[in-house]
Amino acid sequence: MNGDPVSTFQFLGLTFSTANVVSGLVVFVLMVAVIFFTSRKLAMKPTKGQNFLEWLIDFTNGILKGSIPAGDVGKFGLWGFTLFLFLFLSNELGLFIQVATRGGATIVRSPTSDPMTTLTFSLMTMMIAQFAGVWKLGYKRHFTNYLKPFVFWLPISIFEEFTNFLTLGLRIFGVIFSGEMLLGVIWDLAASHGIATMIVAVPIEMAWQGFSAFLGAIQAFVFVTLSSVYISQKLEVEE
Amino acid sequence: MLSHLVIGQSLYFGDSLFYIVTFLLLMWIIKVVAWGPVTKMMQERADKISNDIDSAEKSRNDAADLVQKRQAALANSRSEAQTIVNDAKTNGQQQREQIVNQAQADVQTMKQNAQKDIEQERQDALSNARNDVADLSIEIASKIIQRELKGDDQKALIDSYIEGLGKQHES
Repeated sequence: MNGDPVSTFQFLGLTFSTANVVSGLVVFVLMVAVIFFTSRKLAMKPTKGQNFLEWLIDFTNGILKGSIPAGDVGKFGLWGFTLFLFLFLSNELGLFIQVATRGGATIVRSPTSDPMTTLTFSLMTMMIAQFAGVWKLGYKRHFTNYLKPFVFWLPISIFEEFTNFLTLGLRIFGVIFSGEMLLGVIWDLAASHGIATMIVAVPIEMAWQGFSAFLGAIQAFVFVTLSSVYISQKLEVEE
Repeated sequence: MLSHLVIGQSLYFGDSLFYIVTFLLLMWIIKVVAWGPVTKMMQERADKISNDIDSAEKSRNDAADLVQKRQAALANSRSEAQTIVNDAKTNGQQQREQIVNQAQADVQTMKQNAQKDIEQERQDALSNARNDVADLSIEIASKIIQRELKGDDQKALIDSYIEGLGKQHES
């Protein structure tokens, strides 16, 4: 995949990657469908779809409650839910559907196998953390947090913001990208010597697909967990 | 794939914008379609459950109170019934005694009246008989003697005889 041509287009003076836009739209449509069909006929006694949705909401709220103070969880619940579901569907999408043009440029794959996407989400997390800090503590206390535990810590604090931003985005990208790349490599192996390699490679491919599906879920979970940790760090005054 | 990360290559920042817009749009749609209604429903359910627990506790207390009241009322009515029965018994006793006394008194009076009446009638019969005997004697005497006597003198004479006769008879 590394040498594959990337299909891009220009819009409003910005460069867009066709694969990212199309995959993102696929995830968008999938997610709206899931949310729409599970949230029909809401009742006090939940039925199948509502049960699933409520379980998911409880799950993401549980992730947030792990680090964010209980009083503030409600304000981040919707964000955590959307983020988790979006990342999960994005991670899993490429494992099952990969569409490429005749030229070799992929059109549909996991949006999260592109660092641009994952870094966008990690940047969003960092910005939410900054805004949440200012909203909760006020400008003065928020920025004096950078001078804790002592004033000369400032460069490290600022550097930490950038490393957090990069590690958060690149972790999920690395896992998903490598998973998809290995899928491609195994498939190349399967196709290399006809039926013999096919028989050997298909079980490996399936096993790796299952493992990647697991990793995709774990990475979505880890991303939301770490995001909530970074936000919670900004919500309290460091001692 | 990674080539675009190399400095100098064009980064497609458009994607960032696209994903931010997509994400915000998703958040809005989820909020309108699912998050709002579902969390509201969950909150309502939590409220309902806590209300149910409270009302269950309340009705349990009510039931316990009611049982206590019922038991008190039962004990009360039992003692009341006992009193009523006792009252009725004493009343009956009194009434019985009264009736018996009354009856005895009545019988006594009736007996006395009857004795009095008998005595009266005996006296009447006696005096009637006495008068009849006197008249008869006078008639017989006048017929025997065939002589006009003064009725009153004869009668007094005969009365005195008969008096003696009656006394002899009585004893």
